[in-house]
Formats: sequence, C-alpha cells, structure tokens
Amino acid sequence: MENIIINGLQQGFIYGFMALGVLLTFKILDFPDLTVEGTFPLGSAITAKAVVVGFNPVLAVLLGALSGCLAGLATGLMHTKLKINYILAGILTTSGIYTVMLRTMGQPNLSLLNKKSFFGIVLSSCGIVEKELTLFQYQAATITILLVMIVAARVLLGWFMKTDLGFTIRATGDNEKMIRSLGVNTDRIKLLTLVISNFLVALSGALACQSQGFADVGMGIGVLVAAIASVIVGEMFFGSKKLSLLLTGAVVGSVIYRALLSIGLRLNLPAEDFKMVTALLVLLALAIPKIKIRVKKPSLDRNTHVVGGINSDKA
Amino acid sequence: MIKLKGVYKVYFPQTPNQVIALNNININVREGDFVTIIGSNGAGKSTLLKILAGIDKVDMGQVELAGEDITNYPEYARAKDIGRIDQNPLVSTAAQMTIEENLAMAYMRGKKRGLHKGITKKRQELFRDVLKSINMGLEKRLQVPVNTLSGGQRQALALIMATLAEPKLLLLDEHTAALDPKVAKEIMDITCKIVETKKLTTLMITHNMEQAIKFGNRLMMMHRGKIILDIDEVEKARLTIPQLIEKFTAVSGDVFADDRVLLAN
Ligand SMILES: Nc1ncnc2c1ncn2[C@@H]1O[C@H](COP(=O)(O)OP(=O)(O)OP(=O)(O)O)[C@@H](O)[C@H]1O
Ligand SMILES: [Mg+2]
Repeated sequence: MENIIINGLQQGFIYGFMALGVLLTFKILDFPDLTVEGTFPLGSAITAKAVVVGFNPVLAVLLGALSGCLAGLATGLMHTKLKINYILAGILTTSGIYTVMLRTMGQPNLSLLNKKSFFGIVLSSCGIVEKELTLFQYQAATITILLVMIVAARVLLGWFMKTDLGFTIRATGDNEKMIRSLGVNTDRIKLLTLVISNFLVALSGALACQSQGFADVGMGIGVLVAAIASVIVGEMFFGSKKLSLLLTGAVVGSVIYRALLSIGLRLNLPAEDFKMVTALLVLLALAIPKIKIRVKKPSLDRNTHVVGGINSDKA
Repeated sequence: MIKLKGVYKVYFPQTPNQVIALNNININVREGDFVTIIGSNGAGKSTLLKILAGIDKVDMGQVELAGEDITNYPEYARAKDIGRIDQNPLVSTAAQMTIEENLAMAYMRGKKRGLHKGITKKRQELFRDVLKSINMGLEKRLQVPVNTLSGGQRQALALIMATLAEPKLLLLDEHTAALDPKVAKEIMDITCKIVETKKLTTLMITHNMEQAIKFGNRLMMMHRGKIILDIDEVEKARLTIPQLIEKFTAVSGDVFADDRVLLAN
C-alpha cells in the first residue's frame, strides 16, 4: 500500500508535467502534437549526457527541459511556415529526435550510476545530507521536491492562462478565425504554445531520468497515450471542463494513473499489457461522449461537444 | 476612407470552374459613410468584405484604408482598424470562453497582448456598461460561456466585440440573416445605435431590399462581380423597392435572382 502511494505520487508528479503539456496542446490549443513522444526521451537524454560530462544536475535538468522547446519550435515551424500537417510535422520531429538522442548519448542508453542526482543536489542545498536519510525519508523528500515543482507549474500555468496572452491560446483552440479577426497572429500563438508544452514534457523526461538514474531512447514509447489517459482521468475526477480544474485534474489524473499502474504491478498483472489496456481505456473514454451525442441529436455547433482536440474530429 | 482600385478576385483561375468573384471593382467610401450592399446570389458581396478584412487576398488591384495601402496586409495586421461580423453567429465569438473573456479579447483588438490580467474589475465595469446599453440582460451573465447564449445574443455580443475597440471600419455580412425576424430587428436597432454613436464607417450586406433602402446613406448593388449601382443619400431617400428592381433590370439586363430576397417584411 505504502509503495503504491509513494510510487503514484512520485511517478504521478514526474509525469504530471507531461500531462500539463499535453493538456495545453491537445485540449486547449486543439493541436494534437505528437512531438511529445520524442520530446520526453529527448529531455531525458540531454539531461543524462549533461550530467555525464560534468554539468550540475540542476542545470542538466534545465538543459533537458529547454531541449524540448526546440523540438516544439521545430514542429511548430513546419506546421505554420511550411503548412505541413501537424500530425506529420510531429512525426518528422520525433524521427529526427532519435538521431539527436543517439548522437548525443553515443549509445541507446546512458546510466547515471554513482552520479549525484538532481534531487540530491536540491536536498543538499536545503542542508539535508542524502546519505543520512532512510529510503523512506529519501522518497518522501523527493516527493516533496516534486510537489513544490508541480504546484509551481500548475499555479504559473493557471495564472498565465488568465492573462491577455493566455486568452489568445484558448481562443486559438476554440475559434481561430475569430481571434485572428481580433488581430492575433495565430501562427505565433501556436509556436508559443508548442514551445511551452514541449518544455513541460521534456522537463518530465529530465526528471524521470534523474529519478530512475538512466536515460533510454525507448522511454518515450506510450507516454503520450498515458498522458492523455491522465488528462481524461483528471477530467472525470473533477467532472468539469473548467480550465482551472482541467489543469489541476491533469496532475491529479497523472497521480491516479500511476497509482493504478503500481497496483497492477503489485497484483502481478503482466506489464506488457498495460499499454494496450491504457489505449483501450482512452478509446472508451473518447467513445462514450460521441455515442451519447449520437443518441441525443446531431449538433450543428462543432464546439458543443469538445473542449478541444482530444475528442474533436479536426482532419 | 476606403479606396478600392481595379480590384479583381478570381477563384479557380484558368480552370473550367473559374469564377470572377470581383471584376474590376473601383469604389471610394468616405469617412462616416454607412453603405448598404445588395445583390443577387454569388454577386461577390461577401468576397468584397473578405478582401477588405484581409481574409481573402486580391488577385489584382489595390486596397486602401485611411490613406494606407493595406493590399498585402494579412488579416491580423488589419484587425486593429476593422471589425467584422459574419452571418453565422458561431463564427464571431469563442464558444467555450465566457462573455467577459470574449469581451476582454475584443478590448485588446489589434494591441500587443502580454501578461496583463485578462479580467480586471475595471474591465468588468466597462463590459457591464456596454452590455447594459443593448438591453439584453447580458451584463448579469459575464461569467457564462458563450455557447449557452441564443443566436441573437451571440450576434449582439459579436456587434459589441466588433466595435468595442473603436475600429475605423465595420463590416457586416448579412449579420441578421440567421435570426428570426423579431430578433433580427432588435439586432438591427442595436447596430444603428452603435454605428450612430460611434460614427463608424460601415459596409452592410443585406438581402433585404427594404433594409437596404432604409438604413445607411448610400446603397450599392452588385451583380456578377461588378458594382452596377451606386446610389447616394439624396436619391436613396426617395427610392422604392419596385424602382430598385427596375433599375437593376435596366442596368444588368437580367432578372434579379436572389432566392432569399425579401421585398418587404
Ligand atoms: N472560397 C471560395 N472558393 C471558390 N469560390 C468561391 C469562394 N468564395 C466565393 N466563391 C465564389 O465567388 C462568387 C461570389 O461569392 P460571394 O460569396 O462573394 O457571393 P455573395 O454575393 O456573397 O452571395 P450570397 O448572396 O449568396 O451570399 C460565387 O460564385 C462563389 O461561388
Ligand atoms: Mg454572401
């Protein structure tokens, strides 16, 4: 039980950054950005390499997160300047990222055994000596650090979405024509949002690397569906489409999702089935509202059944 | 105020489906003019407004607004000066955002948007005041998402959003056509009130001849991409619907074809 809670919180917070990023693009901007599947391991790989070559782990995490901005920018530029379909743009960037990761690390994975971690540095800067802590104390301390970080991210994002600039992001996802007619260059807004979103996703990858002590080019597989599942779980948890609850919900959903995974592992459910189960659950969650709408009546307003992309049928 | 010089717009050029939507348009609209535009189906009325708003690009010719050549400005770069409302109430507002959020975005029309709080007490007061002026009770529903409003309420909100930041030009593309007659009249009254108090230069497309004659100080009729009639205030004051149809037939040699045209209502 303890393990499930610890695991759920720790992994949930780490992947919570990614859930926030995915919420931003998929739901709020209505821009299903597949780049994140590459950005996550990229953040991890850059961080690992930076630590190995001797960077301070805190700086390494920051570098990892910033690498996500570049990936988001690449996808965004392909889509806005070259008019490449956003799905394809995301896939192209992801594909390129694999080369970048392999070139950076020089091998498919990189271990950080015996290297000081991000969490260790933060703890020692608070005057706590990592070696003196019990495992449980160490885990609790890690979770506290992550909690502070994710709350900060959630608060910052919540504040940002309530500014004039934040409104334009929501409006671009809601009614792009309208906000353009009010003088907003929506291409720029898309770029900005992709940069922010991929920053969060890469930060997620960077922290995952620091928590597990290695980076692997394959660690991005399935993280997108998991993040979407988290967003959906969060939405169901609060049962509201209000933006502030969606934001908090993404984090809560991520914790619940990771706790469920730990339970599954505890029950000795075969881990190789998790991705399929997650995919089916997401599919089910997306299908239910569509079926409900069919039963009611066909709606003329395409906006009535969506808060953006996850369940919109934008081609 | 607005000058169009030799403007052409061709859809599907050099194909069997080629449509010359605007065929050598030359107009000069003075500041403060309220022009009503009428014309048969596919005459190019909407295309004319889209060219002005920058939603569509001209193929040839020049567009000038307040002495500035804006021919190559993208839509977002002209938005500071131009408010536009579409026929479809769903187009001009962001459905999932609240009334006050929509108004806040309109308030910042054409300005640089930064990290200023979108909703402040001061802005709310302003929004309440303008909403009160249209008498629809919307001032009590600032925090309600726009998709819960009726078509008429959404169109009224769109009108306020189009004019809140004092644009130089207001473009109305059959903005009451999707509404039932009673609501349409209400929206038309609000339109006149706003245009008058803000002294806005306005172009309004309508397929209602009575409306076209009754409102504004100038009437243009379009047919097959051309402006075939341009009637000034004095002449318009005496104009009747039969006369207008007669003029149309005389100039175009065609029968007025608009499946929705309302001769009177
Ligand atoms: N985006 C487009 N692509 C191709 N053809 C178009 C496009 N927009 C308009 N057209 C064509 O250009 C012509 C003029 O269209 P426009 O919408 O300006 O007419 P209108 O005067 O507004 O007519 P209505 O009274 O029916 O609204 C029509 O023949 C139309 O089919
Ligand atoms: Mg039209």
